Amino acid sequence: MNGPPPPACHRRFLLNGTNDAMTQVSERDSNNTSASPGDAVIYVRDLVKKFGSITAVDGLSFSVRGGETYGLLGPNGAGKTSTMRMLSALSPISGGELRVAGLDVTRQGKEVRQVLGVVTQHDGLDTDVTVKQNLELYGYLAGLSRKVASERAAEVLEFFGLSDRGGSEVDELSGGMKRRLAIARALMTRPRVIIMDEPTTGLDPQSRNRVWEELAVLKSTGVTILMSTHYMEEASTLCDRVAIMDHGRMLDEGAPDELVDRHAGSEVAQVRLANGTRDEVISALAGIGYPYREVGALINVNGRNGERPDVSSLNGVRVSYRPSNLEDVFLAITGRELREE
Amino acid sequence: MTTTMRLAAPRVRLRSVTGIWMRHFVALLRVWRVAMTWFLIEPAFILLAVGFGIGRIVGDFDEAVPYAVFVTPGIIIGSAMFHALFECSWNSYHRIDNRLYETMLTTPLSVSEMAIGEILWATTRALITTVTVGIFAAALGWLDSWTSLGVLLAAIFIGVQFGAMGLIFAALAPNTHSLSLVFTVVATPLYFFSGAFFPISVLPEWAQPFAWAAPLTPGVHLARGFVMGSLDITHLWSVLYMIGLTAVIYPVAVHLLKRRLIK
Repeated sequence: MNGPPPPACHRRFLLNGTNDAMTQVSERDSNNTSASPGDAVIYVRDLVKKFGSITAVDGLSFSVRGGETYGLLGPNGAGKTSTMRMLSALSPISGGELRVAGLDVTRQGKEVRQVLGVVTQHDGLDTDVTVKQNLELYGYLAGLSRKVASERAAEVLEFFGLSDRGGSEVDELSGGMKRRLAIARALMTRPRVIIMDEPTTGLDPQSRNRVWEELAVLKSTGVTILMSTHYMEEASTLCDRVAIMDHGRMLDEGAPDELVDRHAGSEVAQVRLANGTRDEVISALAGIGYPYREVGALINVNGRNGERPDVSSLNGVRVSYRPSNLEDVFLAITGRELREE
Repeated sequence: MTTTMRLAAPRVRLRSVTGIWMRHFVALLRVWRVAMTWFLIEPAFILLAVGFGIGRIVGDFDEAVPYAVFVTPGIIIGSAMFHALFECSWNSYHRIDNRLYETMLTTPLSVSEMAIGEILWATTRALITTVTVGIFAAALGWLDSWTSLGVLLAAIFIGVQFGAMGLIFAALAPNTHSLSLVFTVVATPLYFFSGAFFPISVLPEWAQPFAWAAPLTPGVHLARGFVMGSLDITHLWSVLYMIGLTAVIYPVAVHLLKRRLIK
């Protein structure tokens, strides 16, 4: 596994880091759960997105406070990408209200994109120029001088451990490096607010861990992050709060451990089947009424009302317990798996 | 002054335009050696073959003008068209397809500024080929008057017009397969039937109005007027026609690009 990037470069990044006002906001209202447009850095109210007769986002409301990392967790088609595209003023809204850093996204799209760092779902890298030129040209287009863009490109390359790849062709990079370059690009303008659409989808576990480490450092600099993901592990490691989404609606929101306590209980019983006992065990479980899901030769059984499930009445099985996670929450709320691919 | 009609010209963010142009300039510099074959070598071969080869058969022509002198502005403006059209159709299509535009639009860039930047670069390419082939032709003695500098003006009109037209094809093309029609069905017929290689007057009577209406014709006509020093009122009509075409094509291009990129 990749170690964390060298501390020296972190410190330098932090020194050059984001502006102080946002950090103060995060300290001031870190305990306030009901954000109004005034104190929310991202404010979404009754948001609707329709594509013809299809409603992709259906009355979504949430807000993200300064310095907070907020996750939209849901399966493909939950409306996460539509929401993020509307927030970055890349897609017109069909209804509702959207504000970023006090700006009305529908009227002040250009200003919004000036303060936002956006990591799109696809890397969208420029294969005709080098790795470093990707950053420099993006920074220039975003409004930096050529000199500042060049200095900043060197900084973000260092932060993402890509300094020695600055002169490489984009096509020579691995998938994980390309993704990190796309994230680095969004940091060129030192954005106060960062929107990331599935930052690690499609990466191997090792690259994913590396991105998580880098995002954790970024988070510690006090920026506000909104990210979408369908990896529950990603949401629970990085996000302060998570919205569980399905079919364009929010089903619940809260800190990951809160959501787990509320919906899945602290522990899940893992029932290991002996040969030929499946049907009998399933019908017994249905009788008890616990939510369950089959994972290979295991059946995961959730408790009700936060209690540890009692499966002592099942015969001929081995039972162990593990801590519940957001995947169990999603199952408990929707009756479906988070990832069905 | 509340009753004054205010021109609803949206403000253009200059950095958006220069940022797009700079991206293309940097990308071109990386491949400039190969690029010179597109800008100079290919059109120069056509110029040599047609100017010397066909010129030998045709001889002098139209009041003792050597055929090579007649055909040079046509080949230069034809090359300008190909460069502008290729940049904004083929290359822009790829920038849609590999989501580079999506990336660019995450900066404070509007689609219309993006289109202006692309058209500016298309025009730059039209000018590069005009200057390089022009110097080559001048060295052969086929561009021999100072008024030939007016070819640059014609190249600018053609660059803007075909840049905007290329963006329409990029925005509409479902795939590269259909995009190739831009060259087989649009660019190549225009190249050969817009008066670049022979006067439109030699075409059958019924075909001449079509040739005069073709969007490359006014560029060739204007460039030739400068080269031959024969400017008259018809060249003014050519200029107005190109401005008119661009005024129609550009808003359509921006509209179609918005439809494709902002969903």
